[in-house]
Amino acid sequence: MTSASLPAQTTRKSRPAWMTPSTLAVVIPSVLVLAALVVCALFAQWLAPYDPLDQDLIASLQGPSAAHWLGTDDLGRDVLSRLIYGSRIAVIAAVEATSLAVLIGVPIGLFIGYRGGWWDRLTMRLVEAIVSIPGIMVAIVIIAILGTGLHRAMFALGILYSTAFLRLARSVVLTEREEVYAKSARVIGASPTRILVRHIFLNIAPPLIVQVTLTVGAVLLAEAGLSFIGIGVQPPQASWGTMLNTAASYMELNPFLAVPPGLAIVATVLAVNLLGDVLRDSIGRGIRVPAAPSTAPARVRTAPSRPLPPRADDMLRVEGLEVMVSPKGGAEVPVVTDMSFRIARGETLGLVGESGSGKTVTGLALMGLIGAGGRITGGRVTLDGTDLLGLSKAGLEKVRGNDVAMVFQDPTTSLNPAYTVGNQISEVLRVKQGLSRRAAWDRTVELIDRVGIPRATERAQAYPHELSGGMAQRIAIARALSCGPKLLIADEPTTALDVTVQQEILDLFRDLQDEFGMAMLFVTHDLAVAADVCDRIAVMYCGEIVETAPVDDLFANPRHPYTSGLLSAMPHGASGTPPLPVIPGSVPTPGHWPEGCRFAARCPHVTEACAAPVPLSGDARLIRCVRADELVLEAAQ
Amino acid sequence: MTRLIGQRLLAMVPLLLIVSFLTFSLTALLPGDPADLILGDRATAEQYEMVHERLGLDQPFLVRYVQWLEGAVRGDLGTSFFNSVRVVDAVVQRMPATLSLTLASVLISVVVGLGAGVAAALRPRSWIDRLATFGATIGQAIPNFWFGLILVSVFAVALNWFPATGYVPFKDSPGQWLRSITLPALALGLSTSAAIARQVRSAMVGVLQQDYIRAARAQGLSALRVTFKHALKNALVPVITVLSFQVTVLLGGALIVEQVFAINGIGSLAIAAVRQQDIPMIQGIVLVLVLVVMLVQLVTDILYGLINPKARPS
Amino acid sequence: MSETLLDIKDLRVSYGGRSFLGLRSTGFEAVKGASLSIRAGETLGLVGESGSGKSSIANTLLGLVPAASGTMRFNGTDLAALDTHYPPEVRRNIQAVFQDPYSSLNPSMTVEQIVTEPLKIHTSMSRAERRERAAELLRLVNLPETHLPRFPNEFSGGQRQRIAIAAALALQPKLIVLDEPVSALDVSTQNQIINLLYERRDALGIAYLLIAHDLALVHHISDRIAVMYLGHIVEEGPADRVYHRPAHPYTKALLDAVPLLDPARQRARRAARRAAPASELPRMAEAGCPYRNRCAFAMERCHKDVPTSLDVSGGGTAQCFLVEGGTAGVSGLKEKVTT
Repeated sequence: MTSASLPAQTTRKSRPAWMTPSTLAVVIPSVLVLAALVVCALFAQWLAPYDPLDQDLIASLQGPSAAHWLGTDDLGRDVLSRLIYGSRIAVIAAVEATSLAVLIGVPIGLFIGYRGGWWDRLTMRLVEAIVSIPGIMVAIVIIAILGTGLHRAMFALGILYSTAFLRLARSVVLTEREEVYAKSARVIGASPTRILVRHIFLNIAPPLIVQVTLTVGAVLLAEAGLSFIGIGVQPPQASWGTMLNTAASYMELNPFLAVPPGLAIVATVLAVNLLGDVLRDSIGRGIRVPAAPSTAPARVRTAPSRPLPPRADDMLRVEGLEVMVSPKGGAEVPVVTDMSFRIARGETLGLVGESGSGKTVTGLALMGLIGAGGRITGGRVTLDGTDLLGLSKAGLEKVRGNDVAMVFQDPTTSLNPAYTVGNQISEVLRVKQGLSRRAAWDRTVELIDRVGIPRATERAQAYPHELSGGMAQRIAIARALSCGPKLLIADEPTTALDVTVQQEILDLFRDLQDEFGMAMLFVTHDLAVAADVCDRIAVMYCGEIVETAPVDDLFANPRHPYTSGLLSAMPHGASGTPPLPVIPGSVPTPGHWPEGCRFAARCPHVTEACAAPVPLSGDARLIRCVRADELVLEAAQ
Repeated sequence: MTRLIGQRLLAMVPLLLIVSFLTFSLTALLPGDPADLILGDRATAEQYEMVHERLGLDQPFLVRYVQWLEGAVRGDLGTSFFNSVRVVDAVVQRMPATLSLTLASVLISVVVGLGAGVAAALRPRSWIDRLATFGATIGQAIPNFWFGLILVSVFAVALNWFPATGYVPFKDSPGQWLRSITLPALALGLSTSAAIARQVRSAMVGVLQQDYIRAARAQGLSALRVTFKHALKNALVPVITVLSFQVTVLLGGALIVEQVFAINGIGSLAIAAVRQQDIPMIQGIVLVLVLVVMLVQLVTDILYGLINPKARPS
Repeated sequence: MSETLLDIKDLRVSYGGRSFLGLRSTGFEAVKGASLSIRAGETLGLVGESGSGKSSIANTLLGLVPAASGTMRFNGTDLAALDTHYPPEVRRNIQAVFQDPYSSLNPSMTVEQIVTEPLKIHTSMSRAERRERAAELLRLVNLPETHLPRFPNEFSGGQRQRIAIAAALALQPKLIVLDEPVSALDVSTQNQIINLLYERRDALGIAYLLIAHDLALVHHISDRIAVMYLGHIVEEGPADRVYHRPAHPYTKALLDAVPLLDPARQRARRAARRAAPASELPRMAEAGCPYRNRCAFAMERCHKDVPTSLDVSGGGTAQCFLVEGGTAGVSGLKEKVTT
């Protein structure tokens, strides 16, 4: 159960993703260029002012003039007319070679991908062999056999580029057939052909289209290249490549000759490639992309809670913190509002909430690590008297690691795969504490031993992928504690682990806290885990705290309807057979929060007063509910 | 690491066998009788016989292949049909020009591609990113030989900074060598620089979003350190795969760009051989090129193993 | 209850094995001789940690992975002998709901296409009939009919899982394999899905094989529970007995490791754990009982002999010498019970 820093996008309306102004600015000119190309190719007879083969040796190698807009070549032929006729060659070349490549490559790729076994191994070896010969050389050899000329050259290119389609089709089949939806299709009894055609092929189409655009561009460049070295289109036929061949011979007499055909090639290939890029971005993942909420409220109304009275043993104080994020292409939405809590020295506060509640973002905000998509728009964060939000970049960097450290959810991805685990811990000690290489390494081994990993000296040399999840998390904890931070933020540190391993890691957290004495912010979705390691718990819902209480009180006597609902919905909380207690409905995503109490729509105790924003109130315990004092709520079991 | 190299070297053998068989059988498909090509129109039947015997054309196809392969292993790729030059000698004589051109453009592509890619990835959607992405898109659309022509007309013809044509071997004069391959290498390296820049950018953007980057930042390591120590090494993993493929593309591109600058490399040798249907020459050139490509792949595989601990055999 | 629907005997499943020139390498064995049975309309909960082999049993039963040896009788047909090539009448009677509702629905198909796909394959219904049935299926999982023309990416995790359940119900199968059906969902929506599954089972008489890592959750809707450890089914029995009086030490360890909602009891358990010495032996034992290296009750003979399935008082079986003579196993050892 992860909680992404960006809100899940569940907007009901979908629209093609390419319809944004910036992509249209690319798409429209590209389509125009290609349309012009096709028009020139189709209507060359009518569009060209001269016959492309008409020679006029007296008027050779002229620059642009009224009679010849783009000048004449060495034989006095009109360059503009040759350029227009050349577009016909370009279109024929692109269509012939690309369709041949698709027709050969895709069926074979689908077949060997699905069939596997010897067919696959043999074909792939052959493909590997062809690919290891430089492409132009393959084309040259094929042309040597077939002879020169446009169609033969395109046949050669078609065979050459079919390897790309073959490999693409094969790899898509190989990955898609392992997808869970393909497994589902097998379970319902769909035949292999049906799975291939109906389920997998639909998902092959997008990368296939992108590959087609790439191939068209490559074919145009290759055709020009082959014609340029004289083994593609043969003179006197007009192609852009042969025109450049001519131009190369007269570079010193009339360098302009190289400009029109060159620009034609560049413009065409650019247009095709740009279209391919747009297609890849918009249809890369599925046909449709959900649109970001376009009419999100700029700011959600809140009723600011009254400030927390300062206490002498405060290690961390967070007051009125507000965080906004901007989903890609959408308006900024709040993900955390009116966030206030404190943690005493040596105390553990549990921040409990479901996905999208803003608990992870809160943790990241304290570290100044929300990322480019979000920003802190209000509030104060004080760590041991230092105002964290007022710090400069360098100041914050100094605090991180030394004073605040963090342990993340997935230990296998939060360690760098390219370095040994020992290296990653000792780096921190060297950079942050200025230890020598030798001292840092000794301390590293000591730390690895301390977090309960046997054979520490040996394990320090291991790479993250060589460790189990539990081991990797112990390493991550060792690294976080290496500089003796005052505050440790643990973001769902046991969610990715098995339950028996989870228990060991939770024990380790408790032991280390006894030893190091740091304050802890423990972020989790699991109330039972929070019950195990926390001294106090703050329950979050839709970006705000709804209830804060000492751990024993919270479980014995929950006072917010959401806390109570969550407690009775826990697998351990509920007893007996279904129907199990439920909280009706689902968590609204950021940008779709109600105006008043955000839990009102799912609350069994809702009244009219719930329509207005509710502040967090109370003395020993803080509750965000207008009926907190009158309700008698169910505790666990 | 030695195990990795050993494994890769072993894997090269079947591939080389397939390629050699492929080229040998393809060239055997060439239309016409080679004897015609060699003897011209007015040859006697005995002369035909003699040529056939000398070329071994009276033997079955497989026997000829095995003989050719045996020769190739000993470093003998036969003799050209048209002059008594040994194929190996011709290829060895032309190779330095092509290789230095390719190598220089690899260097340019890596430097330009890495620089532009990293700069773009550090600030996505900034003007640097837009500029680099736009430049890369244009760069991939420009034919290398046309770019070569433009470079010649500007820097050789108009400004006269570099020679327009020709190649000076390194051992004759390193300075002249550098001058002679600068423009061709730029022309050749343009589109590969663009391809590498795009690859580096997307790999880098992907890596920078990984948990371990956030975790390193959370430890208070500086942005500079995180970018160049933690992110770059991981981003290079996919880039190296692309590089191996791009070197093959560059080697092919060199054959064409050589024509623009009148460099006597493998390119003109190959084109002449195709025009004349000089079978032993074509076979020899293909085989040697594949050998070069495989060596490049070996080097990139080793680099890959050095960078990516998961790729090392345990 | 009624007759046996599924009877798995001595099932072995392995991965990565291949035969090369007659030389066989077994690869990794994920299931090492498992036996289970499910009666018609019954729910069997299969519990274990990652790597225990519980998903391998599901994949083998669904015909996604071949069985290495053993038998799987379903309605009288031995599925293991079919080597994943199931006839249509078997296919239509075994359906599945997978863990991740974000990848189990084809992103390029509409809800209607997803839900009616099984009908197209197995029935001769007309398009209109199928649409009618699709609307009915959505009602069965408490979703409005208006969702039919939409694509999966427009729905939340809980809604997607309902769609997946609707597709699994389409053919009224005899057995549905539920592979961690709620573990990817939010706590507040998990019970909605559990209740839905429970209601539909009772209304339609479907048997479930419910695979999960959480014993507490499985206990709510299972008639019987089987516990897996490293490819072995170490304990099996009536749900209440296994949950409240586990016979095998591993089952007990699994239950004890689940955090409780009661901080005071939690603290007591931690104190007890800290008092116990930690084992540094490898997880996998080489000979004898597979659990002995982690077992607090390991005896001399556990290091030599492999315990077979023995009857437990209160119903079911356990692979542990502690239950010899039909005792209650680890729950019978009064002095060791901590909580």
